[in-house]
Amino acid sequence: MIEFNRFKLANGLTVLHHFDSTTPMAVINTLYDVGARDESEEKTGFAHLFEHLMFGGSVNIPDFDAPLQRAGGESNAFTSNDITNYYDILPVQNIETALWLESDRMLSLGFTPKSLEVQRNVVIEEFKQRYLNQPYGDVWLELRPLAYKKHPYKWATIGKNIQHIEEAKMEDVKSFFKAHYHPANAILCIAGNISLEETKRLVEKWYGDIPASLKPERILPKEPDQKEYRELTIERKVPNNAFYYTFKMPARKSFEYYVTDIISDALGREKSSRLYSALKKELKLVTSINAYITGSMDEGLLIIDGKLSDGATFEELDKALWPLLEEIKKERMSEAETSKLLNKIRTVKEFQEQGLLNRAMNLCLYELLGDANGVNEENTLYQSITADQIKTVANQLFRKENTSLLRVKAIKE
Amino acid sequence: MSMRTKQPETKQVDHISFVKPQIFDVTPDVKLLWMKEVPNETVRLDLFFDAGITRGNKSIPAIVHSLLLSGTKELSSVEIHEQIDALGGFLDTDISFETAVVSIYCLREHIRPISNIVANAIQNLAFRETEVEDVLRSMRQQFAVNQQKVKYVAQQQFRKHLFASNAEYSTISEESDYEEGNILAYKKYWKQHYLEGLTRITLVGDLEVDEVDALIDLFGKWAVDGKVNHAGGFKFQAEQISFPKEDAVQCALRMGRFLFHKSHPDYIDFQVLNTILGDYFGSRLMSNIREDKGYTYGIGSGMMDMHETGYFVIVTEVGKEVLAPTMDEIKFELKRLQNEPVPEDELDLVKNYMLGQLLKSADGPYAMLDMYNSVDMYDLTLGFYDDAIQKIKQITPARIQELAKQYLNFEDFLIVTAG
Repeated sequence: MIEFNRFKLANGLTVLHHFDSTTPMAVINTLYDVGARDESEEKTGFAHLFEHLMFGGSVNIPDFDAPLQRAGGESNAFTSNDITNYYDILPVQNIETALWLESDRMLSLGFTPKSLEVQRNVVIEEFKQRYLNQPYGDVWLELRPLAYKKHPYKWATIGKNIQHIEEAKMEDVKSFFKAHYHPANAILCIAGNISLEETKRLVEKWYGDIPASLKPERILPKEPDQKEYRELTIERKVPNNAFYYTFKMPARKSFEYYVTDIISDALGREKSSRLYSALKKELKLVTSINAYITGSMDEGLLIIDGKLSDGATFEELDKALWPLLEEIKKERMSEAETSKLLNKIRTVKEFQEQGLLNRAMNLCLYELLGDANGVNEENTLYQSITADQIKTVANQLFRKENTSLLRVKAIKE
Repeated sequence: MSMRTKQPETKQVDHISFVKPQIFDVTPDVKLLWMKEVPNETVRLDLFFDAGITRGNKSIPAIVHSLLLSGTKELSSVEIHEQIDALGGFLDTDISFETAVVSIYCLREHIRPISNIVANAIQNLAFRETEVEDVLRSMRQQFAVNQQKVKYVAQQQFRKHLFASNAEYSTISEESDYEEGNILAYKKYWKQHYLEGLTRITLVGDLEVDEVDALIDLFGKWAVDGKVNHAGGFKFQAEQISFPKEDAVQCALRMGRFLFHKSHPDYIDFQVLNTILGDYFGSRLMSNIREDKGYTYGIGSGMMDMHETGYFVIVTEVGKEVLAPTMDEIKFELKRLQNEPVPEDELDLVKNYMLGQLLKSADGPYAMLDMYNSVDMYDLTLGFYDDAIQKIKQITPARIQELAKQYLNFEDFLIVTAG
């Protein structure tokens, strides 16, 4: 159980307070309700580029990191297709430094040309390091536009094209900030050995005077129902053939989301899972296989990916895989299997609550989903899932016309 | 809005409470370290074995490590994992230079049965032919994937050349290691390094003492006999070696040298120097090469601790076309540390940062146990950290400059590039 308090400033900032007297550290987590899905198709990669710029100095403070380090703290951030999340961890006695820094960059950035130029290069190197210079590194750049035709999930957070980053202009950056970085679009969590009263006083002091803006209305193109089976084969200089089956799945806020999560666990989370034991251990068709979900806010993907054994073909795999998916559609899952999957979820939840940063991030994420207390209800939700629900959702997922398949064919160097 | 232009007052960390775990003697040479105060149901058990990658050739240490839960005469690997999963347990295995670790994560009500399953699986490992084939097939493929990663190639070649004087430490994997199983050799290795190779146990979890005793009974039979010997006195050639890869868009770079063991009198002071150079986001290397030039997504430096020695290394991946200027900038930063005293302001910042990080590393039972383990493993005590706090607070710019002159000469480094 993660206890918390919630209050709101007049300018619209939502604040969560989580008290923990056992730690000498404090966490300040700021979630901005903006991700790659909020970009225009002509300017992709902006949410992520922007995350980098947030460390390039704010309106009153030329350097973000140095003062935080001087206070014994550190900071990082990540961008997804849905959100951008920033956190600072520092000794609780110096918490005010983090509030000073975070509130100033919510107020306004420095927008120096140097910062834009350098971070553009850093992001281009990140693009090379993660997507181009790794075997199979560019798979998501191909997979997203195969699975999504209209919804902005069709591009990756790094951007659909590195040119968009190369061509980023200061005015674009500024208007992105104006639209998305302000109190009403943020959720702040203060966690540590600090009272609610002191939290209120400090948050009011540092954030109270930040001007309010209207929370931007999110109107995203809706992804039309997929009505046809899609497949694409790409050739790459990689050691082995690889496959990526994707199936459209329900959005984050639906109950079916949790059921789909359980289904992906049953198929391919562990070394006792269905696909692992059948396709790797029995049939020896693959050397690795995983099933997982993207965790997206809007309609997401369940993915089954892996690599073929030498000599095995894509056709053999396809013939062996579908009957296994049919099985989960037709036969009710045994009690032993559901209880195994739910036990694992219980363990994971318990470990997740271990760290202060995890607790702060999860509170913000659930607040975005509608109520921070959701983090405390999630396990009960999972534990309520029945074999019938699993069967029903599996039938919605594993249809040929709900499938997009990417094959990576290995060619010699 | 004048308050916005000035940093609020900060206080340096002045006290850290380091908590010592309870220590049980499994044998005179093998301990169990136990951190009992955990505010929830979680348990972590780690079994450390004298079975690191330097303990055998032809990738045998890594292969046997991957085979540990691959099945007994009675149970297949899937059945073993099925049993552990049914209890909501997670297994994690890790193999490093000098040590191999098997870890169990679970809720406390399940630690006994899961431990029994793991103990039985390792004790009665049957080296089933199909399982061996499966593991070799996966490892061969992973090897091929790794060979395409410049980062991996640089790391392997750096190791090979840094440890050139010692055959066990410098041997790197080859594709042929995974071609044909040598079950006899695997069995011999398993008996020697696992069934007689347990070097320590660490445990975090709110258990009863008799449960801890039961774990000692269960795993204690694998305790290594006597002290484990580790190699030292390595020699290498300071040279630059490149491994070209035509179609790479980035080049991986590793450079470094041997320095000293964690107990060396210069160790902590050197850590301050290392932090300034490359071990935090605001470091000189990051500020110059990432934040000023934009040549890389990341660059860092660090000390790698070993049982008899330690080495220093700088690691980065940069755009292929900027490799030469990157090297020049690294050289420039090393020279600058040797020729100019670190400004007081920067040194103060690093001191505060390091103390804050130390405070964080001691936060909570899991972090604290790891922290304790990482000194106890090298026969040091918690006094190491009290000493560290004092030394960090007292170090001067002159001392940093002296250490830079002594230890950070570009000419003394082995340099490996791939890409």
